[in-house]
Amino acid sequence: MASLLSRPGALTDVGRATLTWFAGWWRIIHFGALILVLALSPSSYAGPNRSAMARHIYLGTAPILLWFTVLSSLISLVIIRIVVVTAVSYGLSQYALEMVVRVLVLELIPLTAAVFVALRCALPNAADIAAMRARGEFDALAQQGVDPLRREVLPRVLSGMFSVLMLAAVSCVVTAVLAYVSVYGLATGAFVGYTRTFGHVFNPAVSMIFALKTLFFSLTVALIPIASVLYDRSRARLRTSAELQSLVRLFLVILLIEATSLVGNYY
Amino acid sequence: MLLLALLLLLVAGSVVYLLYARGTFEASQRLVLIAEDSEGVTVGMDLTFSGFPIGRVRRIELTADGVARIIIDVPRKDAHWVRESSVFTLTRGLLGNTNLKAFSGILTDPPLPDGAERKVLIGDATAEIPRLVADTRDLVRNLTALSGPDSPLAASLGNVRDVTEKLKGPGGALGMLFGNEADAKKLITALDRTNALLAKVDGLAAKADAQAFGPEGLMPETRAAIVQLNAALTDARASLKKVDAILEDAQAVAGNARTATADLGALRAEVDSSLRKVGRMIDEVNRRWPFARDPELKLP
Repeated sequence: MASLLSRPGALTDVGRATLTWFAGWWRIIHFGALILVLALSPSSYAGPNRSAMARHIYLGTAPILLWFTVLSSLISLVIIRIVVVTAVSYGLSQYALEMVVRVLVLELIPLTAAVFVALRCALPNAADIAAMRARGEFDALAQQGVDPLRREVLPRVLSGMFSVLMLAAVSCVVTAVLAYVSVYGLATGAFVGYTRTFGHVFNPAVSMIFALKTLFFSLTVALIPIASVLYDRSRARLRTSAELQSLVRLFLVILLIEATSLVGNYY
Repeated sequence: MLLLALLLLLVAGSVVYLLYARGTFEASQRLVLIAEDSEGVTVGMDLTFSGFPIGRVRRIELTADGVARIIIDVPRKDAHWVRESSVFTLTRGLLGNTNLKAFSGILTDPPLPDGAERKVLIGDATAEIPRLVADTRDLVRNLTALSGPDSPLAASLGNVRDVTEKLKGPGGALGMLFGNEADAKKLITALDRTNALLAKVDGLAAKADAQAFGPEGLMPETRAAIVQLNAALTDARASLKKVDAILEDAQAVAGNARTATADLGALRAEVDSSLRKVGRMIDEVNRRWPFARDPELKLP
């Protein structure tokens, strides 16, 4: 601390860095508000914008849907097996199913879906945007009278959100089925008991927290990389690149959302 | 668009399934359980009957007089398991898992009406633990006092050690009992004399045996005497039987004589009266007889 303060203006530097940090977050929030307004205005879905949107949604979701479902099913099977065997060995088999539903469906699947989409879809989209801006395509579009936000940015953001929601939904349903099959086999007699356990886990508060969490994950994954890229200033003085910075911000926010949901569920 | 439709379908389907899982679509009736202490009861907990969940806790309230009201929704299709005479229990195990259970002994009783209030019986395994700990503490304290170095038990054990050492010593058990040699010797002398006395008594007993049970002893002769007595008694019995017969005859005779005497008296009375009659008749005749002689004799 002494060495830091020994340089003249060191405190000013720290102050400036803090302000820059806050400014970065403010820009993300501002961008989010902008995108929200654009998404809720009907003109964003008219004409060529609609086809662009449809294309991006498809490109953002379809290629990774099957892979993610298979991957999450495999990991879910392993986790279910571990949990059930451990619970049975302690004589606590009646709690195994509830624990599986809470751990996998409530917590792990949305988190992994968000991270997967971030890595496979959102970050490449942000890189695309950065490249397009660097090439001057945004300016070209603006000169043609097309809003580049509406034509290029909004579809990508919406596709990111849709991708997270879709992956999470499909994987949750598949995991729920896998949990039933792992614990009870193919017998249909235990369906009533399973439904009851499911209903017991998903009380109104938990259901709301789950829905909000998934929504915020999708917003985070869709917005932060692109916002970081769009409002990025020169980073010559800092040691990190823009992508890494946006990744760090993304994970930070995901962690924050997850922690908040855990507090809301279990505190 | 297909993807959009799929997402909407999944989300809608999940919502419907969750609503169904939480029992929104089934008609249910309300059951209120009154408990002194609702610790461990959570909203969403099951009320079980024979291991099957038949109801779910909807709300837990505290009333103005400090008792807990546990409001349970029982689906109408399961409501026939709870009857007027059903008993409800709230049990808390050692691991803290709480269970609400319903017991219905008589399934033909009238069913429980909607909104019925029942008191719940509470059983807590962990409530015994403080008492158990206190009892164990007392026991340990008592054991410590009992087994301490200056406790009566230690003194007794020291005495026992001294006694056993004496036992191992030259005097042995007798030395331990009496503490000195002279007394021990007295006891041994007494024992010897008792032995001699017993030997003598033995010989005496043998002689008495011979006297009583030997071939010329008392017992055979007594036996013979008894046999003779038996024979004499038998004779006497026979004689008595004869005497009995004689007495019966005599009784008959006496009876006859009695009747005869009675008749005799009557006969006599009759004879008397006849004689009197005859006398009167003769007198009459004498009075009337002309030829009556003068009975008077004249003497020359």
